[in-house]
Amino acid sequence: MFDAPATRALKKYVQVMRMKNNSLLVNGIAVALLGIGAAQAADQPISGGALTWGVTTEPSCFDPHRSSQQAAFFVARNYIDSLIAKKTDGTFAPWLATEWSISADGKEYTYKLREDVVFHDGEKFDAVAVKANFDFIFKPENAATAVSLLQTFDHAEVVSPYVVKLVLSKPDSSFLESTSNVKLGLISPKALEKGDLCGGGRALAGTGPFIFEGYTRGQSAVFVRNPAYKWGPGNAAHEGPAYLDRVTFRFLPEYAVRTGALTSGQVDLIEGVQPTDAPLFAEQPDFKLLTGPSGASTSFTFNINYTRPPADDVRVRRALRDGFDLEPIVKQVYLGTVPRAWSIIGPANPAYNKALVGSWGNDIAGANKLLDEAGWTGRDSEGFRTKDGKRLSIEVGYPQPYVRDNRDILIQGVQASLRKNVGLDLNLRLITAGEYAKNNANGTWTIYPNTDNPSDPARELWDMLGSKGFLYANISNPDPEITRQIDEALASTDPVRKRELTDAVQKRGVDQAFIVPLFAPSWFLAAKSTVNGLSFEAGLDSPSSAYDFWIAKK
Amino acid sequence: MWSRIISRLFTSLVVAWASVTATFVALHALPGRIQDILAGDLEYPGLREAIAAEWGLNRTLPEQYLDFLFRIFRGDFGTSYVLRQPVIEVVGSQLLPTVELALTAGVLAVVIAGGIALLTAGRSNFSREVASVLELVFASTPVFWLGILLLMAFSFNLRWFPVSGAEGWKSIVLPSITLALPTAGLLTQVLREAMEKTLDQPFVTTVRARGVGEFIIRWRHVLRHALLPAVTLGGWLIGGLLGGAVITEKVFGRPGLGTVTLGAVLTHDVPVVLTVVLLAAFIHVAASTLLDILYVLIDPRLRAQ
Repeated sequence: MFDAPATRALKKYVQVMRMKNNSLLVNGIAVALLGIGAAQAADQPISGGALTWGVTTEPSCFDPHRSSQQAAFFVARNYIDSLIAKKTDGTFAPWLATEWSISADGKEYTYKLREDVVFHDGEKFDAVAVKANFDFIFKPENAATAVSLLQTFDHAEVVSPYVVKLVLSKPDSSFLESTSNVKLGLISPKALEKGDLCGGGRALAGTGPFIFEGYTRGQSAVFVRNPAYKWGPGNAAHEGPAYLDRVTFRFLPEYAVRTGALTSGQVDLIEGVQPTDAPLFAEQPDFKLLTGPSGASTSFTFNINYTRPPADDVRVRRALRDGFDLEPIVKQVYLGTVPRAWSIIGPANPAYNKALVGSWGNDIAGANKLLDEAGWTGRDSEGFRTKDGKRLSIEVGYPQPYVRDNRDILIQGVQASLRKNVGLDLNLRLITAGEYAKNNANGTWTIYPNTDNPSDPARELWDMLGSKGFLYANISNPDPEITRQIDEALASTDPVRKRELTDAVQKRGVDQAFIVPLFAPSWFLAAKSTVNGLSFEAGLDSPSSAYDFWIAKK
Repeated sequence: MWSRIISRLFTSLVVAWASVTATFVALHALPGRIQDILAGDLEYPGLREAIAAEWGLNRTLPEQYLDFLFRIFRGDFGTSYVLRQPVIEVVGSQLLPTVELALTAGVLAVVIAGGIALLTAGRSNFSREVASVLELVFASTPVFWLGILLLMAFSFNLRWFPVSGAEGWKSIVLPSITLALPTAGLLTQVLREAMEKTLDQPFVTTVRARGVGEFIIRWRHVLRHALLPAVTLGGWLIGGLLGGAVITEKVFGRPGLGTVTLGAVLTHDVPVVLTVVLLAAFIHVAASTLLDILYVLIDPRLRAQ
C-alpha cells in the first residue's frame, strides 16, 4: 500500500504533527497507517544492518563447554554450532553432521560430517576436530561443566576424515539430544589448545554464523557476520550467511532500564520483559512482543527433600501440594502471561505428561484432613500447626543468585496461602549459593526451587530425581521406585517404552509430592517492529541466535 | 613541616600493612578449608589441589603469611577461579571506568557544594531555604531511584544521553550526576554551616571594615576557614562515592569495579572480593594521607608547629 518513500514522508508528517499539535486523532490515524506500511515492507528479508540486543544477564563465561548459565547459552549459539539441531517437535535436523546412526545395542553413535565447514580461525572442521572437542570436554583436568552430558561417554573414534564415531560405555537414550546441545558445540581444536576461552573474543573460534568480535566486561559483547557461513542448521528459516552485519549484546540488568532503552530506540531488541511492561510493546504499531514456548526446560518447581522430616511423611507433602490455589497466585504475579504448571516437564515439551492436568492441587479440606491424620493437630500462638510442641515448618532455601522474574514473590504468595489455609509454615529464606552448595553436599537441603537446564526429558528427570542427579547425589536412600524408572528410561533404546517411563516418573513425582510444579516459565522478547525473523530455539528453550534476524527498511 | 609529612607517610604504610594482615587473618579465621573458601561455588576435579599449590597451603602459617605479603607487594593478587582469570586482570580492567566515574562525580559534588554554599551562606533569603530543602532531599534520596528518574527524563524521553555503556563523554553525564547529587547535598550543608560560623568571627568584621567586597571575603577568607570540616568529610566522601558507584554502575549498565564486586559477592568469588577489599583499604589510606597533607597546606597554624 505504501512504498518506502511514502512511509518515510508519513513518518516525517507524524513528527511534524506531533511537534505542532498533540491531537490524539491525527497521531492515531497516522500511526495506524504507518503500521500498515511496515507490515507491507516486512515480506522479503534484507541483508545488512546492525542490531543491539539488551539482555538481562552478563555471562560470566562465554565458553559453552565451561558455562553453566542458561543466560550464556543463547549468546553462545551465535558463534557455536552443534553436530545436529533439535526441532520443536523433539526430533532432530542435520547441522554440521548430515547423517547419523545409532548402533543396535545403543552404544555407538556415528555422525557423517559436512565437508565444507571452516572454523573462524581458518582451521578445517573434520572428524579429528570433533574428536578433539569430545576428548577435551571429557578430560577431568579441563574442568568443562559440559562433562555432565558425557556421563556414559567412553571414547571417540575417527572412522574416516569426515565420519566420527562416539562410543558409550552403556546405552544412553539422552545422548543424541546431548550432541545437539550447545554445551557440546564445536570449537576450533587450535583454540582449545590455547587455553582459557571464558573471556570470549576472536580467540573463541567456533563455526557459527557470527564471529566473536570483542567483549567489554560490564558493558557489551559484539559479533560480526561470518561471510563464509553456508552450513546453517536444518531447522533455520534460511540458508547461507546471516542477514545482519553486526550484533551487539548490551548487558542491562535493570528491567526499567531495558524497557526504557527500547522505547527510546537505543536498543532494537530486549530479552526479559516485566509482565507489567508487556502492554507497552504488545500490539503497538512501533513494537512487537513475543512470548517463547516453555518447551525444553522443566517447570519452575518446588523440589521437596522427601527424606527430611517433617517432609518425609507423604501426608505432609501432599498437604503442602494441595493446601493452596495456585492458579490465581500465578495469574496475579505474572498477569496472565505464563500458565500454571501441572507437571515437572514444561507443557510445550513433547514429553509432557498431559494426564496430570487437573489431577492435583487446591484441596484445602483434604490437606487439613491429611495433616490431622499425620498428628499435626496442635496450634501455636501464631496459628501454625504443631506436633509435640514443634511447629509444622519447612524451609524453602532459595539461592539468591538464582532469584529472578518475581519468583520469590510467587513463593511468598504460596507461603501466605498455606499459612492461612492449613497452618503450614513454608519458610522462604534467601540463601547464598555457598550455603546451598553446603546443604546440597550434606544432603540437608529442604525445599529447593528450581528450573532445570534444557536437555533430554529422561536426563532432566534424572537431574532432579535420579539417584546420582544434582539434588539426590548426596542422599543415601532416594525412592527406589522412581530412581529405577529413571535409570530404565535413560537406558531405553525404544522411544515408546521411554515415553511410558518418563510419563510414569512425572506421575509418581507429583503423586508422591516429591515435586510441586508451580509455573511454566517463558522467555519474553520485545523488539522494534522493524526487527524480523525472531524465534525461539527448542534445544535451549531460549531466544534463538540472531542467524535468521533481519531489519526491515523504514 | 616536612618531618610532619614524612611521619604521616610512614603511618600510612603501617596502616596499609595492617590492612593486608587483617585480610590474611580474616581469611584464615573463616570456618572451613581455605581451598573450599577460595573455590567459591566451583567444583571440579583437581581444583582444590591447584588452589592449595598456588597458595602454598601445605606450608606453615608464618611462611604463608610472608608469601602473601610479598605477593601483594609484587601486585600478584592470585587467580579468580570462578572467572578463570588472574584477579589483577579482572580488577585492573575495571578500575579505570570506576575511577573515571567517581572522580567526575567527586569534582561535580565539590563544585556544586562550593557554589551553593558560597551563594547562600549567611543569607536569610528565599534561595537559601530552597537550597537547604533540596539538599535534604538529595542527601536522603537512594542513588538507585535517582538514577532511574534521570534516565526516564533525559534518556528515555528527551533522548539527550545514552542509557548505558561507557563510550564518550555523553555516557558519563547521567551516572556522574546521579552519584554526585546525594554527596553534594550533604557536603553543602556541612560547608554552609562552617561558613556561617566563620562569618560570625570578629576577623570577618575587621576585613569588612577594610572595605573588602563581599565576594572576596567569602572566597578568600571565609571559604578557607570553612574548608577544614569539609576536608575532614573527604574520607567519608570517597567511601560514599565508591559505594555509590556499585549501584550507579548497575543501573546504568556501566563497566566498573561495582559490577565486578557485586558479581564476585554473589558467586562467592573470594579472591576477587579480597582484592577489592584490599584495594578499598589502600584507596582510603592514600586519600586520608593526602587530606592530612592538605590540612597542613590549608591551615598555616599546623605549619608553624
